[in-house]
Amino acid sequence: MTTLEVSHLDVQFGARKVISDLSFSLNSGEIASLLGPSGCGKTTLLRAIAGLLTPSGGTIRLGSQLIGLSSLSLAPHKRSTGYVPQQGALFPHLNVARNIAFGIDRKKKSASEIKSLTFEMLDLIGMPGYEEAMPSELSGGQQTRVALARALVIKPKMVLLDEPFSALDAHLRNELRADVIALLRSQGATAILVTHDREEALVASDKVILMRDGAIAQFGTPEDVYENPTSPEIAVSTGDAMILPAQQNTQGITSYPLKNRETDFKVAHNGFVVIRPEEVVVGSDLAGGMSAQLLAVDYYGHDAMLTFSLAHSTELIKVRVVGHSGYAVGDTLSIKHEGPVRFFKE
Amino acid sequence: MRETLQRENSTSRPLIGLSSIVLALTFIPLIYLVIRAAEKPGEQIIELLFRQRTLEIIATTAIILIAVVLINVLIGTLIATGIHFVRLPYAHLLIIPMILPLAIPSYVFTYTWLALIPRLSGILGAIFILVLTTLPYMMLSVVIALRRLDTGLIEVARTLGLSKVSILLRVIVPQIRGAISAGSLLSGLYVLSDFGAVSLLNVTTLTVSIQNLFKSTYDRSGAAIMALILVLASTVFITLESGLKRKQESESATRRSGTKHLRINNSSAKITLLVLVGLYTAIAVFVPVSVLLSRFFSNAVPINWGELLSAAISTVTIAASGAALALLFSLPLGALIAQGNNRFSIFAERAVLISHALPGVVVGLALVSLGSKLGPLYQSTALLAFAYAILFLAKAVAAMSNSLQLVSPAVKEAAATLGKDRAAIARTVTFPIAFPSIALGTLLVFLTAMKELPATLMLRPIGMETLATQVWSYAAVSKFNEAAPYALLLILIAAVPTFLLSLPREALDRTKSSVRDLQLGESR
Repeated sequence: MTTLEVSHLDVQFGARKVISDLSFSLNSGEIASLLGPSGCGKTTLLRAIAGLLTPSGGTIRLGSQLIGLSSLSLAPHKRSTGYVPQQGALFPHLNVARNIAFGIDRKKKSASEIKSLTFEMLDLIGMPGYEEAMPSELSGGQQTRVALARALVIKPKMVLLDEPFSALDAHLRNELRADVIALLRSQGATAILVTHDREEALVASDKVILMRDGAIAQFGTPEDVYENPTSPEIAVSTGDAMILPAQQNTQGITSYPLKNRETDFKVAHNGFVVIRPEEVVVGSDLAGGMSAQLLAVDYYGHDAMLTFSLAHSTELIKVRVVGHSGYAVGDTLSIKHEGPVRFFKE
Repeated sequence: MRETLQRENSTSRPLIGLSSIVLALTFIPLIYLVIRAAEKPGEQIIELLFRQRTLEIIATTAIILIAVVLINVLIGTLIATGIHFVRLPYAHLLIIPMILPLAIPSYVFTYTWLALIPRLSGILGAIFILVLTTLPYMMLSVVIALRRLDTGLIEVARTLGLSKVSILLRVIVPQIRGAISAGSLLSGLYVLSDFGAVSLLNVTTLTVSIQNLFKSTYDRSGAAIMALILVLASTVFITLESGLKRKQESESATRRSGTKHLRINNSSAKITLLVLVGLYTAIAVFVPVSVLLSRFFSNAVPINWGELLSAAISTVTIAASGAALALLFSLPLGALIAQGNNRFSIFAERAVLISHALPGVVVGLALVSLGSKLGPLYQSTALLAFAYAILFLAKAVAAMSNSLQLVSPAVKEAAATLGKDRAAIARTVTFPIAFPSIALGTLLVFLTAMKELPATLMLRPIGMETLATQVWSYAAVSKFNEAAPYALLLILIAAVPTFLLSLPREALDRTKSSVRDLQLGESR
């Protein structure tokens, strides 16, 4: 069953087209990350789905209901989308319990039901005992949790999170993200998470929507988007990647700085290959390896990035190794590419 | 990038409609004056404009305006900078006597000084009184700007090897220029619209001449022409100031802290500052208060308690109606301006600013002339309340739009996605968050209206007196003892609360924290 279906969506601010002909769909219970540089239209897409702005063309369908249409746009309060804006946007004049209960329909639920729902949510976000606290007394992470509880308590058809973790420091961010994803999964919620952090997009979601200049550049599972980028530019946006000049011959064999060509190589196409640093292995004398000199070591603790120069090419080669490599700058080693050859014609 | 909430364009329409009605009402006086002025034949207008008397009046007004603003710029900036930079014990407490005079309207100042020196009069007297009255606006404006100084810039300048003097000239002065121009605007508009002080001192400025033309000759067209000159002068003044402000309006990103490292610890600077502050405190606080108290307790004339009570009740009643009307008027305009991002809201903001340039005499004159044609409205409290609403519209709208801007759009959007329609958002989110600040704004308008003099004099129903009109009427005939209870009561119920409420939070906090610092210092 398709839960969210966006087709041929256009959004215009005055004369400026912010989103053009954008289509994708999500299945029920899927969590998608919306990844892209700032200004590419991520937040605009989210706001269009939430009903906070009217698209100039195309349709948005949630379940069987048509909610977004340029001519007849369903008001945000009738859409049943839970929205978690940046930094939470809690109601500053209400305490935590009242914030969470804000969206519950008082005509349909009794006071005691509202209360028990609220306490249930407080337990779920790991903040029991905070019902009386005011938003200003909460930390950034707690505010985000309450904002999420406030969105989830109305059992929305879809949860929209607009960079909810952007204000937090790295450690808290990872922890809260794991909690939030677990919570969304436990509720079986369909969700879209806007982020500009590529690792966050990969780790958090079932689908990644890569946006560029108001259009979808690539859409797929995290593995697919990372492994099979549709362009060198996309490859860089999901993780470290080397873009090396390459040639392809008539038989479809590719030659590039890490792979020498056969003697009878006839160039059919010029282009580039995209290689991830973790796809290159390094050793003191690898079978089929290529001799390279170690120029620099960037040590990150859990891993290290080694930079090599090659004898026959001016391109520098980056290699990721786990932990401390044990090699010293100036060593002459052997390196070898062990991964897919992603060739892109010029 | 936060674009408008979707149906905003459609709901703006009623807002724009209501705002247009309010603006139209606000500009009735001005339009009426233009019509009245145009009734006079052209050659008579020219004759009136260029007769010697008119030129004298304009020159008088200009001399007082320029003198007061210049003195304010010089002395106000000097004292404010001194208070900020010179290392004095209890320095932060010095600001209290500096702003206390804000609680005293110009006609009360004039009255107390006349009671002390009955010969006080003329242009010099008017300059003296109006400097006393408006100096706090300049000092407060500059002191607050100095406290917001970007200390990062000062530190950078020091590391670049600038001396203290060149830091002052090249780093500090450029940053407080906006505050000096804002202070000049406030005091200049006060001077242009002042009627109480100049009339008591027998100086014929534009405001006084308008009142005279209206009273003695009933030459409404002549008065209208003079009133338009006055409005023109205020508008030019506002335009000049906003032009200056736009040129340098960059709030810097690095936030403020102290400027302790730039403290001046020089005994001649200390003595100069103490003398200046002491002198000002004596003439602007000590003299008026002691005159008022001694006149009140001298018991030379028995106090007419009944009259006092009825004046107090009238004052409160009309001011409250005026504030309520101003609140009503400010609702659509404030909402529109807070929402921003459309052409009409920018237009509305400018229009409200122009309404700020309407002196009480002008609004009074227009409404009294218009009222005489409206039958039942003529000299009714409703018309006076309407005059207050026009006069203090700018204040009310600023309070309203600032209050509404306290509610962030993100919060309203969150409410929208949680199933609340516009009415529910207004009821459960916008109103609860904005209410305290709106209430405070309305209270300030109410308190300010209680002190209003010229429009009240022209528009009050026959037989009704307010505290302000009583002070002025008694002082005008040198009945200083009789004026004392009215002046004291006025200051107690209108001026002191206004002064306390309108103090920027920062000034209060700073005073409190410096008291705390002092206590800490002593315990060490």
